[in-house]
Amino acid sequence: MNKLTTFLLLCFLGLLSMTAPVSRASGKSTDNPKQQAGTPHDLTFFFSNDVRGETEPCG
Amino acid sequence: MGGLPKKAQQLETVRGKKSAVLALDSGALLFKDEKLPPDQREQLTATAEGIVAAYNKMSFTAVGVARQDLAAGLPFLLAVQKNSSFPWLSANLLSRTARKPWFKPHTLITAGGMRIAIIGLTDQGSDSLFTEKDNAIIAPWEEILPKEIAQLRDRAEMVILLSSFPAAINRKIAEAHPEIHLILQGGNTPGNIPPERINNTLITQVEAQGKSVGILEVHWNAQSKRWEEPGSENLLEDKKNAMDRLGWQINRYRRQGDPEQTFKDQPEVLEAYNDLLARQKLLEEEIVRLTAEQKARDASHQRLSSYSSHFEPMRKELPDNPAVRAIVDATTSEVNRIGKAAVKARISETTVQQQKGPLGNYVGSTACTNCHAPQFAKWRGTQHATAYDTLEAKGQQFNVQCLPCHITGPAAQTGQEMLALAHDLRQVGCESCHGPARAHTIQPTGAKAGQPTMDTCLRCHTGEHDDRFNFAEALSRLRCGSD
Repeated sequence: MNKLTTFLLLCFLGLLSMTAPVSRASGKSTDNPKQQAGTPHDLTFFFSNDVRGETEPCG
Repeated sequence: MGGLPKKAQQLETVRGKKSAVLALDSGALLFKDEKLPPDQREQLTATAEGIVAAYNKMSFTAVGVARQDLAAGLPFLLAVQKNSSFPWLSANLLSRTARKPWFKPHTLITAGGMRIAIIGLTDQGSDSLFTEKDNAIIAPWEEILPKEIAQLRDRAEMVILLSSFPAAINRKIAEAHPEIHLILQGGNTPGNIPPERINNTLITQVEAQGKSVGILEVHWNAQSKRWEEPGSENLLEDKKNAMDRLGWQINRYRRQGDPEQTFKDQPEVLEAYNDLLARQKLLEEEIVRLTAEQKARDASHQRLSSYSSHFEPMRKELPDNPAVRAIVDATTSEVNRIGKAAVKARISETTVQQQKGPLGNYVGSTACTNCHAPQFAKWRGTQHATAYDTLEAKGQQFNVQCLPCHITGPAAQTGQEMLALAHDLRQVGCESCHGPARAHTIQPTGAKAGQPTMDTCLRCHTGEHDDRFNFAEALSRLRCGSD
């Protein structure tokens, strides 16, 4: 019984760690967990420039 | 702010495909001018607060402070900052007395497995934006950047600058500070500007008005911290391909035997053949050199960093992000409510002003129909005749940012005048093209109505609102004939 409980608990924890969401809020980490030290880093910059208002200023 | 839901959806799509996405804006997010007309302040600041709510929802990484963002005053932006989930960055907007920055000068984040520093710089412009009470100045970049970079150099593997300075100054910054790896510049430069490398700095800009978004994908080597020469990743491959082509050309000469013998009586052919051989020798030497350089880089882990970039236009058919659409709808509804309340509060005062001001020279389109019935009927069939109705349908008929191009009257109407406009001056009426007609209605032969020029149309059909406008085509379609 104890072994079964331990096994189920480990399975549950394993599942939890696989599905835990990764925060990407502003100023927070946007780490790629697969990134290895010393290898090139892949980043994507999404940038905008809204000077003079948006394309459809009146909605 | 109608484009924000589409931008949010694009960002979400990019985040769905890529693991380390930084969303950045160089500023001029909140207002389009550096000063607000006092009677539009309430509506414009409500719009600004809606934009911040949308950027919060989009989880922007950082936004630079541009001069336009200070249009409602430094205290307003400082209050906005408290409600922003992203940092507003400016290293050179300082308190005049203490010389300390009013906003965060930089932010340090971890993304893609490395530390990235993002610095903000505010354009100094030609005149001060601040009151004495603001206790603020915008310091020169030459004074601020060396200290910032010295502080960040060892703490970050990549340094980015969000700059609202003009392009010429950003080039000088890049020349002086190769430690900055990327400058995202704001400003009104038309069109998208693909990355240009100055020393070890890429400078790029997406076109203004949120007409496009820029997407820059970077493969960064944090050890070398250097960008490759443009196209250098393909240079060796290109040379090898050129060598193959040369070999094929040389073999064509050799098919008929030894060219020296075959073409001994054709010196021009022999000369072309020898020229190919000389080029082949040079190319061989170059390939050997490039191969050696690449091997040396590989051995010392000094591989350079590469990038690719593209700009995505904000097409009308792109889907909206529902959450940001809800924020935009709530904001435009609030802006309209503010305008409607202003109408109730100020209508009697404004009506008196109308009689005295230039607006008093306008009579409305109905007055024209007495003598120009066919022309009036033609106008009724155009989009000009329902311009105000389209605002009403969107619940924006009290939005002073929208009204100028949906009503009739002088170009320089105040917000109060627009909001209290007589019913017959709603829509883009006859007098929008032909000018004020009160004098003409009193003395039809003595005071002739004017004819529209391209400048008349360009009051509203600017690139900002109608980038496909063609004056000749519009005139032939809308011309209402003589009489």
